[in-house]
Amino acid sequence: MKSYLAVLRGSFMVGLVYRFGFLFSIAGNIIYMSITYFLWRSIYQNRETLRGLTFDQTYIYVALGSAVFILLKTYVDWQMSYEIREGTVATYLTKPIDLQFYELFMSLGFFLMSLGAITIPTILLLVFVFRIEIPLGLGLAIFPFSLILAYLLSFCFDYFIGLLCFYTESVWGLSITKEILVTVLSGALIPLPFFPDVIHKILLWLPFQAIYYTPLTMVAQPNLGWGTFLPMLAVQLFWVIALFTLTRLFYNQAIKVLRISGG
Amino acid sequence: MSLIHIKDLTKHFKILNRREGLSGAFRDLFSGNYRTVEAVAGVSFDIEAGEIVGYIGPNGAGKSTTIKMMTGILKPTGGMLQVNGLMPYDNRIRQAQIMGVVFGQRTQLWWDLPVIESFKILKEIYKVDQKMFDRHMDMFNELVGLKALYSQQVRTLSLGQRMLCDISASFLHNPQVVFLDEPTIGLDISIKAKIRSVIKELNREHNTTIILTTHDLGDVEALCQRIIIIDKGKILYDGDIKRVNALFGAYRTLKLQIDDFTAATLQTLTGKLTEKFGAEHGISIAETEELWTDVTIDQARTPLSDVLNFVMSNFGVDDVRIVEISMENVVRKVYDGALK
Repeated sequence: MKSYLAVLRGSFMVGLVYRFGFLFSIAGNIIYMSITYFLWRSIYQNRETLRGLTFDQTYIYVALGSAVFILLKTYVDWQMSYEIREGTVATYLTKPIDLQFYELFMSLGFFLMSLGAITIPTILLLVFVFRIEIPLGLGLAIFPFSLILAYLLSFCFDYFIGLLCFYTESVWGLSITKEILVTVLSGALIPLPFFPDVIHKILLWLPFQAIYYTPLTMVAQPNLGWGTFLPMLAVQLFWVIALFTLTRLFYNQAIKVLRISGG
Repeated sequence: MSLIHIKDLTKHFKILNRREGLSGAFRDLFSGNYRTVEAVAGVSFDIEAGEIVGYIGPNGAGKSTTIKMMTGILKPTGGMLQVNGLMPYDNRIRQAQIMGVVFGQRTQLWWDLPVIESFKILKEIYKVDQKMFDRHMDMFNELVGLKALYSQQVRTLSLGQRMLCDISASFLHNPQVVFLDEPTIGLDISIKAKIRSVIKELNREHNTTIILTTHDLGDVEALCQRIIIIDKGKILYDGDIKRVNALFGAYRTLKLQIDDFTAATLQTLTGKLTEKFGAEHGISIAETEELWTDVTIDQARTPLSDVLNFVMSNFGVDDVRIVEISMENVVRKVYDGALK
């Protein structure tokens, strides 16, 4: 465990080296939050609620979604594709470490970095500049735990795509497709209740919703209570364990096709 | 029992037969047209603890593939492979603890961080205790002046400095065996000499076994008592360096750029050299790149200076270079039965 913490510390330091790049993401977030504000304002014109959600609930959901959007991107797929093509993966495989945990703790360094440099400033902007009232309560209290589970889940997806690079070597198409699927099906752009009923029901059975919809709903609708939140957390936990295990099994297959050319 | 035991080791790759051009690339998308390549085709040898072995051969000979199997990255297709009594691929994490690896073309150091941070991370990864860490860091400092580089970002190091750091890093956890894959690639003469002396010192310090692959016969000459030559996945020679040394040690290649070069020039040159130095002159001639003619000379039989003088006074020569014999030429000579 200590060795992986050293890796986390290292990748956090790499994040610090590139801290200025992070600051630009905040500018992007401000633009995005402004656009979505006017978009949803006009959708809510002359309406109190839409599909049972008030404007405030929807906007908190969407704006917070943009605050955690970069946080929940691990970029592990791009990272691994680079490592596999360049052959640097060979230097990991000759060390007494587990590739999955190594990649996870590498990405956690960046997670902490973007939490401090992007997510928290964006949330402060939301509260003090955009004057959004984030409801205090149970939902907000368990939000951090849900967010960590969401991150682990997002990692599993990206690690899976990364492992596919052992076969395909290039990651472009795969990553873009995954990105679109996750963004749309997880409710990162639009809260799931706005989807047609049938699709909404189907999506609740898929792992995608546990990445964005679950933690964001907890903050946007904190009055739902333990009765709803506890099963939501349990579903998240279930998907984390399931996908973590499945990708571990898949690694054993993928590693067999590894070819490192040159050198 | 020997530290590394290899018997009839094979590795096959399935490779897609790629077709030419854009339309070919499209058709390849749906093609099941694979061929099997035998990268390693039945290799056997044993390596004892403390040896420095040169594992050499031309490009694509199967050197790197063998190294990758010994380090547990690749799974052998067939045969027996044991390092310290265990099969590396099946016990990857455990075996990694007793190995150090340097791939010359890629680094294990953290590109964006100061040098010392990589060593600190490796300390945790290999669970090196503080005492051993301090002792080894002092040793590296004495050998390569590591301390001066501690706070320098790895990406700003010169290739030679980076390689010295990489080699040091691979010895940090006091491994039983270190694999050095092309450690001097792309480096100039003076830094090569430095790297060779460092490798020698590190080997002496803990009697660490070292397996070295290289293109540079100078590396092998300077470091190894034993040499294994591999080509097309098979071992051509395995034994004392002295016999091979005689083979390439005395040879030099004279590269000539001759005026008004035509196909006939080569024949004229061969004829005149035979006339001058007799039939047993130990000189072979080949045209390599455009306009360059390679004259390989066995100095035990004919002095290089004589040949050079003769050529200069009989032909119009634009440019001359003298190089040590190449790996490819050594392998060709071994094929021709030079070691029989």
